[in-house]
Amino acid sequence: MGTYALRRVLQMIPLLLVISLLIFGLTALQPGDPVDQLVFGNSNITPEDIARLKASYGLDQPWITRYFFWLKQAVTGNFGYSQDFGIPALEYVFQNRLPNTLLLTVPALIISTLIAVPLGIFSAVRQYSPLDYILTFFAFVAVSAPVFWVGALALYFFAISLPQLTGGLLSLPPGGLGGDVPPEAGWWAVALDKLKYLLLPLMILMLREIAVTLRFMRANMLETLTQDYVRTARAKGLADRRVLYKHALRNAVTPIVTLLGLSIPGLFGGAVITETVFSWPGMGKAILDALVSKDFNVVMVCLMMLAVLTVVFQLLTDLAYALVDPRIRYS
Amino acid sequence: MKKTFALTAFLLGAALAGPANNSLVVGTSQEPPNIYDPWNTNNLAITSEINGYMGAGLTYQDDNGDTKADIATRVPTLANGDYKVVKDAKGDVIRNSVTYTIRKDAKWSDGTPIKVADFQFWLKLENDDRVPVPSRDPWDRAKITVNDTDTFTITFEPPYLFADQVSPGLAPSHIMGSAFNTFDTKTKNEKDAKVVNEEWKKFISSFTTARNLPKVVAGPFKPTAWRTGNSLTMTRNPVYWNQPKNPDNYVQTVTYRFIPNTNTLKVNILSGQLDAVSAVGLTFDQGTDLARNERNKYKTYFVSGAVWEHIDINARGQRAKDLDLDDPRMRQALLYAIDRDALTKALFQGKQAVSNSWIGPVSKLYKKDVNDYNVNVAKAKQLFAALGWTPGSDGVLQKGGKKLTLNFSTTAGNSTRERVQQILQAQWKAVGVQVNIQNYPASVIFGPDFLSKGESGKWDMAMYAWSNNPVFEEGNLWKSEGIPTAANGYSGQNNPGWSNAEYDKLYKQARVEFNQADRIKLFDRMQAIWNAEVPSLPLYFRVNVYTKVPGLVNYTFSAITQYPSWNAANIGWASKGAVEEYKQK
Repeated sequence: MGTYALRRVLQMIPLLLVISLLIFGLTALQPGDPVDQLVFGNSNITPEDIARLKASYGLDQPWITRYFFWLKQAVTGNFGYSQDFGIPALEYVFQNRLPNTLLLTVPALIISTLIAVPLGIFSAVRQYSPLDYILTFFAFVAVSAPVFWVGALALYFFAISLPQLTGGLLSLPPGGLGGDVPPEAGWWAVALDKLKYLLLPLMILMLREIAVTLRFMRANMLETLTQDYVRTARAKGLADRRVLYKHALRNAVTPIVTLLGLSIPGLFGGAVITETVFSWPGMGKAILDALVSKDFNVVMVCLMMLAVLTVVFQLLTDLAYALVDPRIRYS
Repeated sequence: MKKTFALTAFLLGAALAGPANNSLVVGTSQEPPNIYDPWNTNNLAITSEINGYMGAGLTYQDDNGDTKADIATRVPTLANGDYKVVKDAKGDVIRNSVTYTIRKDAKWSDGTPIKVADFQFWLKLENDDRVPVPSRDPWDRAKITVNDTDTFTITFEPPYLFADQVSPGLAPSHIMGSAFNTFDTKTKNEKDAKVVNEEWKKFISSFTTARNLPKVVAGPFKPTAWRTGNSLTMTRNPVYWNQPKNPDNYVQTVTYRFIPNTNTLKVNILSGQLDAVSAVGLTFDQGTDLARNERNKYKTYFVSGAVWEHIDINARGQRAKDLDLDDPRMRQALLYAIDRDALTKALFQGKQAVSNSWIGPVSKLYKKDVNDYNVNVAKAKQLFAALGWTPGSDGVLQKGGKKLTLNFSTTAGNSTRERVQQILQAQWKAVGVQVNIQNYPASVIFGPDFLSKGESGKWDMAMYAWSNNPVFEEGNLWKSEGIPTAANGYSGQNNPGWSNAEYDKLYKQARVEFNQADRIKLFDRMQAIWNAEVPSLPLYFRVNVYTKVPGLVNYTFSAITQYPSWNAANIGWASKGAVEEYKQK
């Protein structure tokens, strides 16, 4: 197990190098660069100005040369400055954006898993019951409905209709990060204020998460319940509860480990549509904006972070498999 | 008590600002990369707007285009002798200069007096090769001469046409000076421009970012908190000298909320979370929608702007020749074939004025009596026929076996432009012109390989906009030397590739014509030539949409001032005693 893990860790180094080269190359090969955006619309700009600016941003060099310059800096921990925010790219990502995203995505994943797994089991055990139909219908609607549409509806309802219906007594803020309560009001008042802003995007994000996990869990459980060993357990006269929770559940949950393991990098990547609709300044929006505005350093930090997380959690998932499934051994 | 407050806040959604605590909450769809960078190394509109609250200039212009003094004791004019124009023996202007005297009470927000050194420091860096200023025009030919402690003269040689209307910037040398010296020492002998640029970012980011807010400002408001991705708060600067009478009656705090999604911005307006919207925020469609739902909660304004929407016609390359796009008659025919009045009525309720020149009606140079190209299908067909284009069996015009098929491009995802395209495509089809819509992302359209590479035949018609401050109109969009070519590094903006010897001659004359009446005459002729040849099909001047709640006064702007922050010191609530000076036109 230890040797296997070490080998996998060593394999990550060339893999991440290749990924960084691909990301840098693809970003650099996009049409346009930050200088174009400065130049466009300025009719007084001269060829000398353009050449000066291109040199200043290093854009007069071939992309491969720029890549090696970036790599040389990156291995010393210098990921350059954000073109759009004038601060170190690392600081922008890890201090300004990542905490906001984790505040949204981590509770969404935990709460939705805690809700969806039991519902999925229940839906499978009571297959074709009215509640199973209701849950299946909910899951299809939640998966199919576009986030931007559901988000917009929720915004209108909670921020406009609800206050009108309740004479202004109940409402939720229409997007943003909070900050209405001064720090002097106390930490819990600040936390309540934050929660108020968090509720809507959290609910919208959870809707989809619950639907996906519920469907996945239901399908796994149904498949497990048809296995021979389950039939044998039932034939031995074991109680239903014991068959379900002792024999079937552990095997049905195994794929959920994979699902959760592979979901974790996604937590860091943010939820671009939800963040956009609710003006929640997180990673998803940061990556999108950086790509659009050609903020190379931010793009590299964001995508490399996701790449590292993906390969690390892929390994952790594989190792966790051995823990939950005795049939798997890495020796 | 605290618990009650928190619970109430929780139930009531976001806290409302406004007259209650004499503050102002403004919503905008963009966030500036940095603020109060004296050298404007980014040129985003929102940066200019927010800087307007914190900045002060020697002079400024109001909504009507009148120049007023701010840091300077008076506006320089020829009459008072502060503006001088020097001519040679032939009568040509060879240089001009402007003299300013700094007010005694003009101070930075830390109480330090504003000095000539602050202007000199700014100019030195503006012209420093290591500073990534997009364009140094006209400051690369400016020189400051100190006359006495508070008076200096700035001389432009060659002369600068708008010298009396543009004042140099200023930077707090007492704050930034030592940091700049460190930058200077570090980069003096550095050959790698990228390394220099990193050092520059280090220097400038220590004065202009959320982590390092500007240490001092000169304008009516100073920044107090910037939560990136969320909001920026500025409070009134008590040291600012140009205050209204009873400054306490005016807004004390301004908070910008960054709401990138414009639909979410709309919900914020409808739910009463915002007192006003920035000039950088709403789309026209959202404006009309908001205007229908005002219910006395807010009012929607459509401000005539200086943003000119048009369709460039590519007159360069073999393809353009084959399609006769390089012939003015073809362009005239294309323009006669479309009904721009009906288009603006249908899509913009007639609020966006149809244009027949690239210069807008707000400019003193605007020529009203040019050909208006009202829709005239018969005339369009006549012009096509004169060029040898005749309808084929499928109704599409053809000549020498070639069909008149044009590619029409714009920025993909801009729903307004896409609707305009569909209407025009149908109108052109009616006269036998087959138009294929081929849209690209903005990064492609405005990238290095599209508009400026017309000779390769990448595009036939391209719809986009130019934003021109009407005060500083030079006519340089259409000069021949502005045609982007390999020789000039594709740096010009004359994307259609239009070239007219008479226009070029007049343009050069106008650039050094310091007499306004004579300049207007030159521009009359330039516009007549342009209008006759229509290198670009003029569509309309876009309006800027914003909302504000009733009772908020002096929150106005025009095509000249562009942003409501031009009059920041006087923005206030009537209920708090603020006096209305300017009404939104």
